[in-house]
Amino acid sequence: MKTNNATNANRVGSFFFQYAIYFVLVFLVLGITAIDPSFWSINSLHDILLQSSTRAIIALGAAFVLITGGVDLSAGRMVGFAAVLSASMLQIQEYSHRFYPGLPDLPLWVPVLIAIFVGLLVGLINGVIVSRFSVPPFIATLGSMVAVLGLNSLYFDMKPNQSQPIGGLRPDFTSTLGSGYIGSGVYSIPYIVIIALLVAGLVWVIFNKTILGKSMYAIGGNIQAAIVSGINVKRVLLYVYAAAGALYGLAGVMEAARTGGATSSYGNMYELDAIAACVVGGVSTAGGIGTVPGVLVGVLIFGVINYGLTYIGVSPYWQLIIKGLIIIVAVAFDIRKYLTKK
Amino acid sequence: MPENKFILEMNNVSKDFPGVKALDDVTLQVRPGTVHSLMGENGAGKSTLMKCLFGIYSPDAGEILLNGQKIEINSSRDALDQGISMIHQELHPVPRRNVMENLWLGRFPVKSVGPIKLIDDKRMYQDSIALFEDLGMDLDPHVLVGSLSVSKIQSIEIAKAVSYQAKVIVMDEPTSSLTGTEVDQLFKIIQSLKSRGVSIIYISHKIEEILAISDEVTIMRDGKRIGSWLASELTTDSIISKMVGRDLTQRFPEHHNIPGETVLRVEGLTSPFSKAFKDVSFDLRQGEILGIGGLVGAQRTELIEALFGLRTVSSGKIFIKGKQVKIKSPMDAKKHKIALLTEERRATGIFPVLPIVENTVMANMIRYASPYFLLKQLPMKQDVQQKIARLHIKTPSSETQIKNLSGGNQQKVLIARWLLTEPEILMLDEPTRGIDVGAKFEIYSIIADLVQQGKSIIMISSEMPELIGMSDRIMVMCEGRLSGILEGKNRTEEDIMHLATKFMV
Amino acid sequence: MKKLFPVVIVGAMLFLAGCGASSSPAPSSSSGTPSASEKQPTIGVAIYKFDDTFMTGVRNAISTAAQGKATVDIVDGQNSQPTQNDKIDLFLNKKVNALAINPVDLTAAGVIIDKAKAANTPVVFFNREPMASDMQKWDKVYYVGAKAEESGIMQGQILVDYWKAHPEMDKNKDGTMDVVILTGEPGHPDAIARTKFSVQAIQDAGIKVNILAQDTAMWDRSKAQDKMAAFLGAQGEKIEAVLGNNDDMALGAIEALKAKGYFANNKFMPVVGVDATAPGLQALKDGTLLGTVLNDAKNQGTATLNLAVALSKGLTPSKDNAGYEITDGKYVWVPYKKILKANMADAQ
Repeated sequence: MKTNNATNANRVGSFFFQYAIYFVLVFLVLGITAIDPSFWSINSLHDILLQSSTRAIIALGAAFVLITGGVDLSAGRMVGFAAVLSASMLQIQEYSHRFYPGLPDLPLWVPVLIAIFVGLLVGLINGVIVSRFSVPPFIATLGSMVAVLGLNSLYFDMKPNQSQPIGGLRPDFTSTLGSGYIGSGVYSIPYIVIIALLVAGLVWVIFNKTILGKSMYAIGGNIQAAIVSGINVKRVLLYVYAAAGALYGLAGVMEAARTGGATSSYGNMYELDAIAACVVGGVSTAGGIGTVPGVLVGVLIFGVINYGLTYIGVSPYWQLIIKGLIIIVAVAFDIRKYLTKK
Repeated sequence: MPENKFILEMNNVSKDFPGVKALDDVTLQVRPGTVHSLMGENGAGKSTLMKCLFGIYSPDAGEILLNGQKIEINSSRDALDQGISMIHQELHPVPRRNVMENLWLGRFPVKSVGPIKLIDDKRMYQDSIALFEDLGMDLDPHVLVGSLSVSKIQSIEIAKAVSYQAKVIVMDEPTSSLTGTEVDQLFKIIQSLKSRGVSIIYISHKIEEILAISDEVTIMRDGKRIGSWLASELTTDSIISKMVGRDLTQRFPEHHNIPGETVLRVEGLTSPFSKAFKDVSFDLRQGEILGIGGLVGAQRTELIEALFGLRTVSSGKIFIKGKQVKIKSPMDAKKHKIALLTEERRATGIFPVLPIVENTVMANMIRYASPYFLLKQLPMKQDVQQKIARLHIKTPSSETQIKNLSGGNQQKVLIARWLLTEPEILMLDEPTRGIDVGAKFEIYSIIADLVQQGKSIIMISSEMPELIGMSDRIMVMCEGRLSGILEGKNRTEEDIMHLATKFMV
Repeated sequence: MKKLFPVVIVGAMLFLAGCGASSSPAPSSSSGTPSASEKQPTIGVAIYKFDDTFMTGVRNAISTAAQGKATVDIVDGQNSQPTQNDKIDLFLNKKVNALAINPVDLTAAGVIIDKAKAANTPVVFFNREPMASDMQKWDKVYYVGAKAEESGIMQGQILVDYWKAHPEMDKNKDGTMDVVILTGEPGHPDAIARTKFSVQAIQDAGIKVNILAQDTAMWDRSKAQDKMAAFLGAQGEKIEAVLGNNDDMALGAIEALKAKGYFANNKFMPVVGVDATAPGLQALKDGTLLGTVLNDAKNQGTATLNLAVALSKGLTPSKDNAGYEITDGKYVWVPYKKILKANMADAQ
């Protein structure tokens, strides 16, 4: 009997640990609803999904790198750079203070692709520095984080803009990649939520169904064994950082479209939010572990905190404390999955 | 005996894990001043039993008695305080600190200078010297631990256990990284421990060693105790049959290899590093097992890792089927149909948290690539299932994380990984290290089978019976150089030892 | 791989070179011709943070005003007082003729004045006002800035005017203005002053104010948009006006309002900001932003430079040699301006 009880308790416990982050999400939603029942609405869900979309894309980019056992600090500044780049080329003709005064209306996809491509390029450079020159990812991306901010500031400060916020974005841009939605009323889905879901699906396929994905998990799980297995570690890392960069680029474009503007300070500290969301979602900073649904739940937890705590009027200082505690508690629970069980 | 017949008793210990009865009513009774060996295949429950002893697991049933007194152990610290110590298979010293600091770590002798307490280096040195002399160890307390051999580091661990007034010392596979002479030294130390009244629980797979050093032997199988015997009552064959639960007619499978043409020729392979291999030339024929013997430090691993593109070479040529090739990375090696099973299964073989499927296909995912970069899931799963069946890999499912398998099954997964690359040449570095007898036989059978299919095998081994029993030819290395190749049936361990020490001063 | 590598590097270098070239006439480089610069005074300018929108305007104004008059060396304090102090030490070491300092932390002014006094280098503080006791330490210390409370008062007045002209703004007809406020970085003196005095100005006009929600959006457009979405979710139709401590946050709020159907089909929400940035003016033109307050970057920058030039020539600044009225012998107050759609041209 004693044995049976112990086993059952173990099972309940391990079930709880396995799905701890999902419980955290449910508790948060229930807790906020208990304080203000009006929170429980399609509108809230709508807003949270909208706000989580760009974050989800950034976090998925960060997950690429984390799973290989690296870390990418350049994420936030890349988002800012892509936002400024795309916004600078997508202003309406009548705007008084255009970034490129004589620029004709480009097809929407041109600036969007330029911004994503620049993200990919910076990602490639990160990858080269990490894989070719064996610079630890923390240092390599710390360097590019600072350098990209510099590049962005130079670009942003060019005449005639001279560091003025970029506004007057074309309605087709802000609608397609920003505020637009399909459907109507409560049954509407914003385009950017759809984009985020498509990206998540694509990333899920890469993680689970491709050689690149399997190789990433192998490198993060045991890089020596990956080398011995004849995996082209350098090339995989190159692709991983490039893919992450492209995702940051896309997120930056969406951030500009969503907010209808951009400044060089966009994206500040987003990398830490992304890493926190990944870690809360069960991605191991030691590498080799992490799933797309986990990352999405991690992002949603922070989405609910940001929106819900403001909704019920929690002081911004307390919001920071709660965020910090959730990061620590979630990871402490998650780690238990991997510790030797008594 | 004035007090008790047994110094340590673990009575009727049981431990359940979800789905597995890891220990089923196991009893272990150790007499004072004796060596009590604990034997069993991997997965038989030896480690679980020891983890219960050290409080890493709490047993579901049973009791632990020390000197007839029931004791509670909740951590290895508790065990240490009670006088129970463990020398682990893998040692983790602080390499950048010297011998005595490692020895007294966490309990440095201090002296008071006014209100300040300083570490008393002089006393620490004297205490260390006294301890080493007492145990017949030749160690300088001031030497950096990082510069010492495994056996010396082991000696420090043993000395540390003695300094904690240990009454029982558990040694887990203590000889796995030791050379012949080092094993002799260890046995001398064990004798001096016995004479001090210390009991040893000795865990090993090496039957010859067990018979040489033990007073009593307890054998376990599938979480149960099969029985305890005086070592003098046992023979190699009787131990094996008790461990595997069936009679093994022989230790090595029948194989009749008919070597064909030369598939690999190596000429004057030399490492750029002065202490590594130099001027090694040999050839390997199709359908042949070439054993590589030698002592630790003979540079055997370094040599085959260089052949696999993991290490750089300053000069020398490699020919495959008569054509000279350059192998600069494992990717090149794979292109030339060479596979390598590394020595360090944990460090360079398995991806611990990944499932068996991924672990199996990792070296040859291109085989399952389809257009649009997607992997073909079905053939992948089918191949893995087929390998699991053919190599008798014991696992609940192909989605199980590999870290949950026993050493022998992990090794089989790694063999499966390389078989999927369809290699012509398989290089195996200590393929049966740390693997139980039953699994060993299975791995020998797999090797024999592969040779039958026309594959060529290079096998490094430190177990001489294995080298002699399996190899068609045995190439022996000493200090990075080739010291001879033994052919024919009448090779003895003495022949190998002679060559293995040929260039030693 | 091997082919890709040089392409990436060359691409990156071209990219960098392109950016470098296009930014060569950056404001931080010296102005004036080399021959003239020998006679021109050198002025060390320290800005608390380069990526602050408003301070960039001031910085550009200083560069423009300096042409032909002085050589300016502008440095970034990176929002860190220790960094700024290091740069000021460097200026004093290089023996600049005058300092123009926009301190990161206004309590640090005392230390800066001591250093400048020891080197006998006059100092003009701008935009962040040091404490009066520090200002009295030495006679060659001046301050150029605007009165932060003025911007808040003007924001409030814009809402009061609208309230009086549009009674329908009081949606629930309770005679109380129900507002939400998006504040800047916590503890920032401008954020505190604008929040406090905008509310006070409405109350001073005899209208009761009820703050439905107030949260920091760190001066950031994207954060303001998220916060506003949450306010709208929680308060919905109760909100009657939005106060943003700056234009960026007001614009973020407008984006969130648009997503909830405002600014279309006669659904309007009065939103006011501060700074009169280019996107802010565009929003005024579009009719989404009700009003903003011009913090006169051009005049702040010009006054700072003029004072510094006068001081570096050993003159005592006055309306004659600096072009601005000096109050209490040490202060130049540059007034704010209310900007509505009608007088947009004043801010361009």
